[in-house]
Amino acid sequence: MRTVYKVLAYIVAAEVVVQAMLIVYAIAGLSKWVSNGGVFDKAVMEDRQIIFPEIIGLPLHGLNGGIIIPVIALALLICSFFAKVPGGVMWAALVLALAIVQVQLGYMGHDLTVAGALHGLNAMALFVTALHAARRSRVAAAATAEAAQPAASSV
Amino acid sequence: MLRDRRLRLAAAWAATLLVLGPLAWLWQDSLLPHSYSVLDMGYADDGGAAPAGHASHGGVGGHSRSVANLVADPNHRADVTVTLTARKERFRLASGREVDGYTLNAQSPGPLIEVTAGQLVQVHLINESVPDGVTLHWHGVDVPNAADGVAGVTQDAVGPGREFVYRFVADQPGTFWYHSHQVSHQQVIRGLLGPLVVRPAAANRDMAEVVALTHLYNGVRTINGQEADLRVEAESGKRVRIRVINTDNGPVSIWVTGAAGTLVALDGTELQGPTPFHDKTVLVTAGARADLEIVMPINGAPVRVQVGGALSVVLGSRSFGAPVATRPAATLDLLGYGTMAPIGFDPDVPDRRFEYVIGRRIAFLDGRPGMYWTVNGHLFPNVPMLMVADRDVVRMTITNESGEVHPMHLHGHHAVVLSRNGVAVSGTPWWVDSLNVDDGESYEIAFVADNPGIWANHCHNLSHAVEGLIIHLMYEGITTPYAMGTKTGNNPE
Repeated sequence: MRTVYKVLAYIVAAEVVVQAMLIVYAIAGLSKWVSNGGVFDKAVMEDRQIIFPEIIGLPLHGLNGGIIIPVIALALLICSFFAKVPGGVMWAALVLALAIVQVQLGYMGHDLTVAGALHGLNAMALFVTALHAARRSRVAAAATAEAAQPAASSV
Repeated sequence: MLRDRRLRLAAAWAATLLVLGPLAWLWQDSLLPHSYSVLDMGYADDGGAAPAGHASHGGVGGHSRSVANLVADPNHRADVTVTLTARKERFRLASGREVDGYTLNAQSPGPLIEVTAGQLVQVHLINESVPDGVTLHWHGVDVPNAADGVAGVTQDAVGPGREFVYRFVADQPGTFWYHSHQVSHQQVIRGLLGPLVVRPAAANRDMAEVVALTHLYNGVRTINGQEADLRVEAESGKRVRIRVINTDNGPVSIWVTGAAGTLVALDGTELQGPTPFHDKTVLVTAGARADLEIVMPINGAPVRVQVGGALSVVLGSRSFGAPVATRPAATLDLLGYGTMAPIGFDPDVPDRRFEYVIGRRIAFLDGRPGMYWTVNGHLFPNVPMLMVADRDVVRMTITNESGEVHPMHLHGHHAVVLSRNGVAVSGTPWWVDSLNVDDGESYEIAFVADNPGIWANHCHNLSHAVEGLIIHLMYEGITTPYAMGTKTGNNPE
């Protein structure tokens, strides 16, 4: 279970990286599209069509961040109940909370643009927290190994 | 040691249940029945009036009327008859681009239906090959309820090989359009739509007219199916009326260069005392129509009317080389445009007052997690059913706290805007059927409930309607025999 905890936490961290890549990919594509004379207004946006290939980054960012990451974070929290990682539940809960705050900030940013800036900051916080959670499991493994050592020698 | 372990495991399972239990409950609670009636949706909101008898919404006493009987006079012969055949097919736009979608009479946009005010229009819809079924909704025309074309509410979707007849009197001159209201978020975007123009009985023959229906096919902007500018011959000094129809899910901006523009009508209603404007953008929200009038310059120079930035209607005689301009930053504000005039009823003594507060939150809808729209804090289908009686004066406040713009569309009625964010209208009566409600805005509107039936009142960003932004206006004593849901084949949004 400790390994599952570690893997899930690393996946959350990796997913934050994927999210950053997807959104910048989409914005780069948008910039190129507009530079070449394309028009991107609210009507085009709400049409939800693939007008240039990179735009796929937007719905993928929404799906990945809105559904997949929170679900992984939820799985991490449930896993933490079973995995004996010191402080594991707290760190997993923090990862889930940050993931949910991240979704809210993302949607808030559609209108309140400063929330978009905080969305970027919170992404860093989520990344670091997930990494830290993953590393806690290593500490836990080392502690158990140490605890197991004297027990083994006494036999 | 062993007991410790068991205790810890029990605690872990308990914690898991504590986390997953509420989620599972929310998930199952959001599942929609395979068949449900609009009558059973949500809760009745009587708008402050005493509810009629003890009846739940729907039947009052013994004499309830079915929406199927709310028709135009059956003894009145049709003045105009049109046959529209719907197909699902790969078709060629006027521009030559091939599109996988839907056609009416082998074309998209469908044919322009032109009638004179007061005529009874009879449209024979034949579904040749649309697997999900089709309907036709007459956007902006206050038709009798049976002709409103909402699958599962006013009729059953017309399946492949089946037919349906729509009959209504087009009594209001103006610019309108028609589109499917069955799986509309897919069928409309992929072409099942067309323009409808109702001309006044005494038409002005001196004025040239252009219909400019704009639609995005696969994200590519078109005007009347063309991807190039629409060039229209217009002599110097000539008056030209451009009827812009926005069939998309988002607002479209239009602006004029080379002459002044005058906004003469909105949503099929003439504005009072409109004045020419320069360097302003006219915002045409999703589903809305804007009629612009241009007087051609005496020097014969061409005039460009940009629609959404990518395309234009260019008016000219000797040349069509009007320069492309960037979008003016200022938007024409209808709140103080034109001159005040009586609206025909007193909105200050309403019989019903409704709140329509749009929000958004993380939730399940039919078992799917996501960010969904809420109405007065409730999620679809537990949304308010606005109850009215015939001849009621209705006042409604639409407040958008959802973070996104919503083009709100009321079926079967035109409502007049009273105020925005507390600032009263100080210009022309501003009648709408499709109102652009931006995030943070609050509009007060009013209308007379004079068209009995069950009427959708939804966001015309049709994807938003799928995401739960749809409620209904229901007249007391009206019922419907139709139902929605996967088992019924009716899926209006």
